[in-house]
Amino acid sequence: MEWKEEGEERPLSQRPEWSDVTPVPQDDGPNPVVPIAYKDDFTETMDYFRAVYFADERSLRSLHVTAEAIHMNAGNYTVTLSNLDFDFAENLFLENEAIGRIASRVEAVVWHFRRLILEALNADLHEELNFIKKVANGNPKNYQIWHHRRWVAEKLGSDATSKELDFTKKILSLDAKNYHAWSHRQWVLQELGGWEDELDYCKQLLEDDIFNNSAWNQRYFVITKSPFLGGLEAMRESEVNYTVGAIIAKPENESPWRYLRGLYKDDAQSWVNDPQVSSVCLTVLSAKRNTVFALSTLLDLLCHGFQPSQDFINAVDALKTPDLDQSDSNLATAVCSVLGHMDPMRVNYWAWRKNKLPAQTA
Amino acid sequence: MDSLRSSSSFFDREKHVVFLQMMNQLLPSDYQGQEINRLTLAYFAISGLHILGALDEVDKEEVSSWVLSLQAHPRNEAELNNGQFFGFHGSRSSQFPRDDKGVLIHNGSHLASTYCALAILKIVGYNFSCINSKSILTSMRNLQQPDGSFMPTHVGAETDLRFVFCAAAICSMLENWSGMDKEKAKEYILNCQSYDGGFGLIPGSESHGGGTYCAVASLQLMGFIEHDILSKSSSSSIINVPLLLDWSLQRQAADGGFQGRANKASDTCYAFWVGGVLRILGGYKLIDKKALHGFLLTCQSQYGGFSKFPGQLPDLYHSYYGFSAFSMLEEPGLIPICVELGIADIAAIGH
Repeated sequence: MEWKEEGEERPLSQRPEWSDVTPVPQDDGPNPVVPIAYKDDFTETMDYFRAVYFADERSLRSLHVTAEAIHMNAGNYTVTLSNLDFDFAENLFLENEAIGRIASRVEAVVWHFRRLILEALNADLHEELNFIKKVANGNPKNYQIWHHRRWVAEKLGSDATSKELDFTKKILSLDAKNYHAWSHRQWVLQELGGWEDELDYCKQLLEDDIFNNSAWNQRYFVITKSPFLGGLEAMRESEVNYTVGAIIAKPENESPWRYLRGLYKDDAQSWVNDPQVSSVCLTVLSAKRNTVFALSTLLDLLCHGFQPSQDFINAVDALKTPDLDQSDSNLATAVCSVLGHMDPMRVNYWAWRKNKLPAQTA
Repeated sequence: MDSLRSSSSFFDREKHVVFLQMMNQLLPSDYQGQEINRLTLAYFAISGLHILGALDEVDKEEVSSWVLSLQAHPRNEAELNNGQFFGFHGSRSSQFPRDDKGVLIHNGSHLASTYCALAILKIVGYNFSCINSKSILTSMRNLQQPDGSFMPTHVGAETDLRFVFCAAAICSMLENWSGMDKEKAKEYILNCQSYDGGFGLIPGSESHGGGTYCAVASLQLMGFIEHDILSKSSSSSIINVPLLLDWSLQRQAADGGFQGRANKASDTCYAFWVGGVLRILGGYKLIDKKALHGFLLTCQSQYGGFSKFPGQLPDLYHSYYGFSAFSMLEEPGLIPICVELGIADIAAIGH
């Protein structure tokens, strides 16, 4: 089931196997809004697609025309705008991922029909996985492709587990943050299994790039949902150790700070009481570099009732600039003031936070 | 001089109007892959012109006719209840006439197209009492899943927060919530809140600007969270507001733009998605508007429109969200928008 036969570049209208088919043109009606300038081969392919779709012909040639339609519709290619009276130097292109977020992509109908044909022909779905892989290579952010992949994997069941984990791993090796790949991978793990090596995989990705927020998110997913680990509370201690290490390495990295907080989801008291949490703040503050997240974490701790030792007061004092109120004995307000300086983008937020502080915060 | 970089230090409204008019006239063939999303593209163009204060350029009658011609109508009560969704198609290519026996075999109605269709009709001031809303609302329930999420079409496709938003916006515009089970939808949304306060597009996924917008806008439309919750003294809410606020504000990066996820590059459209979240919560005043303004101008194209990243070529999607972002920044000449519906305020409340 090759999607494009070698050397088969003839238009459909000139191929003998299509001679009995009357192509169905698109009826735009009068005054279409945003009419699109079609290329001839696209028009022809879609005319033949409409013909077999309308006739509900679930055959091999129908399968081939869906492949051609997919190839054309899924394109992220550029064209010159020479046909427009405009002085462009380069090409104009569409951000497919962006459009895909609002509405399903164009091949929705084509892919749906392809699935009907695959079922009717009782097609080899492992072959279909290969077809998808080829199409996905050029279009890793196409919703339709991922949905189709899931449909095939669902039919194959656990036979597909390792292939799916390999496939997503391959896509992620090219773009470690591909949202579709991560969603698909999570689906595979939950529906088909394969959890055993997932924590290791996250560790590996974080070694490659400790700033990869997708990998941190996946790590959270694994520790909370893997049937091989004990769940969030059981994993908490080891995860706190791991996260503290990541923070110390790169205190300016937002991800581990959020992750640390996440380890105490729904249990703020334990988060406040864990000495490792406050201690990592102190460590970073004392080093006086990249202190913003340490400061905001300290602020949150204080707002949740944390009782700071003199060390914290001294560490924050040391970060004050001469223009700040040196006598401000309220640590939380001092932290807000320092943050206003250290994180000027959010100066309004820190002022607002200062304003909202309850009177009795330390 | 780099030919791709905008030469202006101001929002070039005139150029953007020309850009949209060009899009309206004839989209280049590169957009042919978006054939089924023609309604979505029309929404960007028309809503964009509206926000820019240039809606007079649009023939409202023509637009209404075209949009309404894309609505799928059930022939009778039996057909309405056969499990299909009767909404709007994205374009003519998924729309087929009934066969010889009058049976509608191919109904490509899509939830997102339906949202765009209704939004456009609101914008051009179409009389909503003339719309067959009963078939939309009745059949829309077929798209809602047991977990509360929505499929975009009845033929089967991915479900995620984008379509929950579309459903909520549709019900809101039709002023009728019989189209969805709000409680179930709320549950699904809450399951999408990540450990860091943002929302992913599906439960378990990484928190994301677009997902967070869909979550918060939906909850607001459905009445589960108050508008401007930050200025209210009550501290309880079904979502973790402080964490969400902190996450959202942290999305404004060092270059002044907004990123969609932590540690990713700033992108024009998140000025709307994340900015919109902040606006709904009542926290928009907390951002650095000057820095955002500066970033957005680096994404403004000398040909009109906006690109995703600085110095690149514009596209219709990022242009539309760029205009929306400038409206939120109260750019003179632009009209205010109703963030949770994604249309101008005046369109939302009725002409």
